[in-house]
Amino acid sequence: MADRLAAPTRPIKRISVSDKEKLVLALPKGRILKEVMPILAAAGVMPEDDFDDPDSRKLRFATKDGALEIVRVRSFDVATFVAFGGADFGVCGSDVIMEFDYAELYAPVDLAVGHCKLAVAAPKDFVEADDPTRWSHLRVATKYPNITEKYYTARGIQAECVKLNGAIELAPLLGLCRRIVDLVSTGATLAANGLVVIEEIADVSARLVVNRASLKTRAGEMSGWTERIGQAVQDRGDAP
Amino acid sequence: MEDRENQALLPAGLHDVLAPDAAHEAALVGTLTQAFGTHGYERVSPPMLEYETALIGAGGPGMDDHVFRVIDPTSGRMMAIRADMTPQVARIAATRLSRQPRPLRLSYGGQVLTVRGSQLRPERQFAQAGAELIGPDNIAADIEILILAVDALSEIGIEGITIDLNSPALVGSVISALDAENGKISQLRAALDHKDQVGVAALAGESAGILSYLIAATGPVDEALAKLGRIALPDAAKAEIERLRAVAEGVRAHRPDLALTLDPVEYRGFEYQTGVSFTIFLAGVRGELGRGGRYVTAAGEHATGLTIFLDTIRRAITPSPAQAKTVYLPQGSDPLIGATLRKEGWTTIAELAPDEDPATEAKRLGCTHIFETSEKQPIEIG
Repeated sequence: MADRLAAPTRPIKRISVSDKEKLVLALPKGRILKEVMPILAAAGVMPEDDFDDPDSRKLRFATKDGALEIVRVRSFDVATFVAFGGADFGVCGSDVIMEFDYAELYAPVDLAVGHCKLAVAAPKDFVEADDPTRWSHLRVATKYPNITEKYYTARGIQAECVKLNGAIELAPLLGLCRRIVDLVSTGATLAANGLVVIEEIADVSARLVVNRASLKTRAGEMSGWTERIGQAVQDRGDAP
Repeated sequence: MEDRENQALLPAGLHDVLAPDAAHEAALVGTLTQAFGTHGYERVSPPMLEYETALIGAGGPGMDDHVFRVIDPTSGRMMAIRADMTPQVARIAATRLSRQPRPLRLSYGGQVLTVRGSQLRPERQFAQAGAELIGPDNIAADIEILILAVDALSEIGIEGITIDLNSPALVGSVISALDAENGKISQLRAALDHKDQVGVAALAGESAGILSYLIAATGPVDEALAKLGRIALPDAAKAEIERLRAVAEGVRAHRPDLALTLDPVEYRGFEYQTGVSFTIFLAGVRGELGRGGRYVTAAGEHATGLTIFLDTIRRAITPSPAQAKTVYLPQGSDPLIGATLRKEGWTTIAELAPDEDPATEAKRLGCTHIFETSEKQPIEIG
């Protein structure tokens, strides 16, 4: 707390930023990263060796050519870091982009990995017993309160979202809610807990996201990266 | 500790602006409107609030969600507090200044209020300053407004901006051919605003190829224009691109070093615009410094204009350090001395009660000098 109070309360003067300043790329931890790295490598992103070391506690990484800095954050936070301009571009799921719906975020490239679906699900017994046309109100457990609220608003139902960060499948079984909205890839977790998908809200895949101001003020470099990454995705798709 | 009892708490998005920022902001608005003035733009000052019908009718459909409304206790009519001053200036041009010769050049500066901030711009009240050029519908007017933006920002010390050229009419001419219901068009606009290739491919049907190409064409103005030249487009879209090209060349002729980019699909915030529009960015600064473009007033007149957002400007530049020359005037000093010093550019702080140690007291109050009666001049405090 003391540190925060002592920190300058105003941003530093940055009138003219030289083009030599490094671009910052935000990458998510976990599953998506493994699938995305080959694409980024093909596009010329070469992180320092520490990046692959699972024991490294570092959050910021240099790259071998020095033009780029990489930060590693939670998948859900990539969109926020990029939207606020902390990072110039990054990789995150389209579910995260939809949930935050930041105006300052562009999603110009579909990386075509990390495919899954965002879906409404419920225990099988509920689905058989319920008549949703009679509902004016519904409690839903989800990691995605904004998407969920919009989805049900469009259907004339007030959704009261219970925000959970994991084990969402448990919520209806333990009486927290009648529906969940969550990512579904194979459906195995749902099935193991006696849940079925009722409706798919959106197809999800990993996207390249770009900060709006960065794309404009560093247009040359940024278009270079989006084109190279787009090309790498295409080459990968063409490969047998 | 009851949070509700805390008098310091302000509603979300509203702030007290303290020293030195308050004076800084006022000076910025002053310098900007003066810069507009030197180009012949006369300052007007509309009221904070006016009848809802005038404010929202003129501001286009996008305005509706953004204004605070209150009932006028005297007339019983609904009033709205301005969320943007442009529609007010357009109203002044169309009504009270309808007989003033065109081209009409007006400028303004003041506070606006919106119902909700965004995640990235939580402020609900902020200052804006701007200029409107009403009457002509030609390239020279488009260029004048852009140069005015560059000059005015330069006056407040902001260099190295990037101007992103847009044309909301361009995408309109491509998708108007599209046989889609309204709901789908707004979804498509949202996908375009996020440069979401997947969304565009899913929503645009036959136009998906062209729109996806337009998204990819975004970039530095010369490259973007070259790309746009290589694709078959409807005549209306071609005309828009030619106009953008002419405007870019005109601006370049004045300011060869200005960074210009072109984004053919940007639409957000341009619901009101009909032709060449623009957004101003600065590297390393979150959000837009300003924006503007061509529109048609409620009276059907052609106009173009620009708005500078002072909240973003204040993120971009910090105020210069407090007045460097502040002198402490001991009690009983000749009033003439103070008057003379202030004329010479000093800030004077008067001693209100006798101090045991005037120098320490002067320092505590932030003075750099103390007036020594014996030496008849300010002495720097060690």
